[in-house]
Amino acid sequence: MTPPVEHPYGAIIVEHFRHPRNQRTLGAGAVVAEGVNPLCGDRVRVELAIPEGSAVVADAAFTANACAICVAAASLLTEHLRGLALHSVLGLADATALRWLEAPIPTGRERCALLPLETARRAVAVMHTGAGVDRRLP
Amino acid sequence: MSELLAQLARVRAQGAPAALATLIGTSGATPREPGATMCVGAGGEILGTVTIGGCVDARVIETAPDVIATGEQRVVTMALGDDDAMLLGLTCGGTVELLLQRVDPRDTNTAMSRAYDAAGAVVAEARAAIVATPLTSDERITIDENGTRHGTLGDRALDDAVASRAREMIAAAAPPAVGRFAHGGAEMVIWLEVLAPPHEVVIVGATDVAIALTRFLDELGMRTIVVDGRERFATRERFPCATEIRVGMPSEIVAERVWTARTAAVLLAHDYKYELPVLRTVLRSGAGYIGMLGGRKRGSRLRTLLGEEGFSDGELSRIHTPIGLDIGAARSAEIALAVAAQLVAAFRGRVPLR
Repeated sequence: MTPPVEHPYGAIIVEHFRHPRNQRTLGAGAVVAEGVNPLCGDRVRVELAIPEGSAVVADAAFTANACAICVAAASLLTEHLRGLALHSVLGLADATALRWLEAPIPTGRERCALLPLETARRAVAVMHTGAGVDRRLP
Repeated sequence: MSELLAQLARVRAQGAPAALATLIGTSGATPREPGATMCVGAGGEILGTVTIGGCVDARVIETAPDVIATGEQRVVTMALGDDDAMLLGLTCGGTVELLLQRVDPRDTNTAMSRAYDAAGAVVAEARAAIVATPLTSDERITIDENGTRHGTLGDRALDDAVASRAREMIAAAAPPAVGRFAHGGAEMVIWLEVLAPPHEVVIVGATDVAIALTRFLDELGMRTIVVDGRERFATRERFPCATEIRVGMPSEIVAERVWTARTAAVLLAHDYKYELPVLRTVLRSGAGYIGMLGGRKRGSRLRTLLGEEGFSDGELSRIHTPIGLDIGAARSAEIALAVAAQLVAAFRGRVPLR
């Protein structure tokens, strides 16, 4: 076993990158949205299980080919989304998502940290409007 | 497309008969291996070479008009080099055995034409086939890797024996060869010609090295699939020579592919965000080659990380990193050349690769 990695961004990011939570796919009927950072290539897909007629996230999962900050952010986000009302997802502040990482994120890397949240918001927002989100086919 | 199928397609496009010379046997040192083919048109046009220039090619060209005129299939044995070259030691010194056949695109109903058409259809579906050509008969049979047959050699027992040998050869990725089969109390000598789909190289990371690599691999007849998560990097403008360009989640694109000994994963992104997820997929696949750009220390660290995730030493040893033959490459095109050369070595079964 190698010694803990010395990481400039802290133990939480390392832990959630090495052992991400909820990195899986949900079943048919999940609300799915994918986000990408077009220059660095981070890609993350957020999946939300929102039962018919409900306005609460029953389950959340993600898939990512992304940097450690982005993967950790997605892992933490999916932990916090479970049980959250949809309007609360839309109301989640960037600062909250950054705080979960428990590390100072340089301005230039905030986009990595916020990509999962932006993707989740997009999934909920377009679900409300009924347009465009890539809801998984049954 | 295989070299032979490409040559036959060209003959068909030209619409005129040609002579097909196939190297079926060698003795001593020769510059090409059995399976090399050369087509010579009635007008003297040359497609491919059985030897690397030299007197044998010249004799094939001289013999072509007679083969085309008579349609007579024949086997000829030729010594490489002339007396002067042999005296000076400037010749390979070996002998070659050539099968000469007429290819006539105007008649698509010959056994030969049907056999190569069947093989072409199989290869187009990314499967391998063998065309069996008796040296003393016009009959042909094509057998694909599933054992499906097209045509017959006129004898069921002979067909069965040839089909069995063909399937073994395909499964073993064996080179083309002459086979000897008992038939009617005698021995029938049959040229077993392997036609396989091109090797496929999945390149992860739409980088400058990848651009050069797709050019080299295109020249080498390999299919390339460029994969990246960034739309503005993985473009047709940047990759005119790539067979396919895929933008999306690299690990998922890689997971969709069928990995065989004829496929390779080349990771050129130099970024763990793609390397780790992609390696998690390909390390447990049947890929014939896995290589990753990066220095020894970085490669070692990556192996350690994956080892902690449960990958075995055997699985991790499949990663060739630093990637490419050690030619002191510094520029993108040089690195690409080193990688292309290592891929050729890998697909030819040359180990170790560095």
